Amino acid sequence: MADVIHRDYRLIPIIDRFGINFGFGNKTIEEVCFDYQLDTSFFLAIINSYHNPNYFPQLELQSFSTELIIQYLSNTHAYYLDEKMPEIQGYISQMQLCVIDKNVQNIKLIDDFLKGYEEELRKHLQKEDNNVFPYIMALEQAFETRKCSEELIQQIKTTPIETYERNHDNVEEKLSDLKNLILKFLTPVSCKAICQRLLTELFRLESDLENHTRIEENVLVPKVKLLEQQIIETLS
Amino acid sequence: MNNERKPIAIIAAQHFIYRLGIKTITGVIGVDLDVYEASSFLEIKEYLTNQSCDFIIIDEHILEADKNDLQSLKLLCPQCKYLVFCDSLNSRCEHPHAIHPTDSQKKTLEKLQKFFFEPEEDNESQDPTTDILSEREIEVLKKIALGYANKEIADLLYISINTVITHRKNITEKLGIKTIAGLTVFAIMNNFIKPDDVKH
Repeated sequence: MADVIHRDYRLIPIIDRFGINFGFGNKTIEEVCFDYQLDTSFFLAIINSYHNPNYFPQLELQSFSTELIIQYLSNTHAYYLDEKMPEIQGYISQMQLCVIDKNVQNIKLIDDFLKGYEEELRKHLQKEDNNVFPYIMALEQAFETRKCSEELIQQIKTTPIETYERNHDNVEEKLSDLKNLILKFLTPVSCKAICQRLLTELFRLESDLENHTRIEENVLVPKVKLLEQQIIETLS
Repeated sequence: MNNERKPIAIIAAQHFIYRLGIKTITGVIGVDLDVYEASSFLEIKEYLTNQSCDFIIIDEHILEADKNDLQSLKLLCPQCKYLVFCDSLNSRCEHPHAIHPTDSQKKTLEKLQKFFFEPEEDNESQDPTTDILSEREIEVLKKIALGYANKEIADLLYISINTVITHRKNITEKLGIKTIAGLTVFAIMNNFIKPDDVKH
C-alpha cells in the first residue's frame, strides 16, 4: 500500500475517502482492504482511474454494486464540501489579510466568486445525495427483490436518469474561470506562498472533480439506464 | 517657483542609526536631498500637515498596526512617493517601492535608484487587459458583465446578434473565462464597470 502512495502522492486523499488511515506498515493492498472490509478490485479500479485518466476500467467498474459506487461518490462529495472548499476558502481569507490598495477589492471579488461557486457545487452535490442517489438505491432494491412500487415505475417514466444527465451542469466551468482570474489577471500579491497553495488546490480540485464526473457519467449513469430498462421490461 | 530647490525627503525610522544609514545611501546613489528626519509616525503626520514633501522613506516598524496608515499619509501628501523598508513579508511589502529583508545590497540600491529617478508608473499602463481585448470587445464585455442578454447587447450597440456572439466567443477565448460571473469579476477588476452597476 505504501508503494502506491510513493508512486503517486495524489492518491493520498483518495485512500482517505475509503477510510484508510496511515500506519499500514508493509501491508499489501489486499491486506489493507481486508482490514477495512473493502472490495479490493473496486479500490484498485478507483485508484487506477485517478492515477491514469487513460486507464478507465468502465466495464470493470460497472460490474461493482451500485451501492458501492454510490457510497464512494457520497464520500467524495463530503470530501469536497467539508474539507476541500473550507481549505480553499481559508487561503482566500489569508490573502485578504495581506493585500492593499486595489487588491483589497480584487480579493473580495474573488472571495464572492468562490462563494457563488461553492453554493452551486453544494446544490449540485446535495441534489445528487438527496434525490439522485436514493432513486438509484430504490431501483437496485426493486430489481433485487423483484418488487417495484407504482411510484417508482412512474418516476422511471417521468424523470429517468437521462433527465438528470441532461441537468448535469458543468460545475467545472467556474472553477476554471477562477484559476484564470488569479493566474492571468490578479495584480501580484505579496503573500505569494499562499497564492501558490490556493492555485495548486484549485488545480487539484479540478482534476479530482473531472475524475468524479467521469465515474458518474461513464459508470453510474449507464448502469442506472440499464437498471431502469430491466425494471420496466420485467416488473411493470 | 524656485526650480532649483532640492527635493525634500522625510526619512522616518525610530533609531538614528537607521536614519543615518538611509541618508548615507541616498548620498551614495547621488541624490541631493533636503532631509527631514522623523522618529515616529506622528512626527511625519505633523510635518505633512504643515508642508509637503517629495519623498517619504519609512521603516516599517514606525507604521502603526492598522494597515491603512500608509493610505492616511497618502491623503496628506498625495503627490509624494513612498518607499517602505520591510522586515517581513506582509501587506505593506506589496507596495511598489518596498525594500525586502531578502533584497541584496545591489538590489536595494537598484530599487532606491528607481525610486528617486524613475517617474511613477501609471498603473493603467501596465494593465495586461487593454492589449488583450479590442475596444469593441470591451464594450461587449461591459454589457455582458452588467447582465444584458445577447439580443439586448445587439440593440444597445447597433450590431447584429451574430456579431455579439462572435465577440463573446473571442472574449472567452482570449481571457479563458467562460461564465458570466467570471466575466463580471474580470470587468470590475479592470474598472470597466463599477460593482454597484451590476444588476441582480
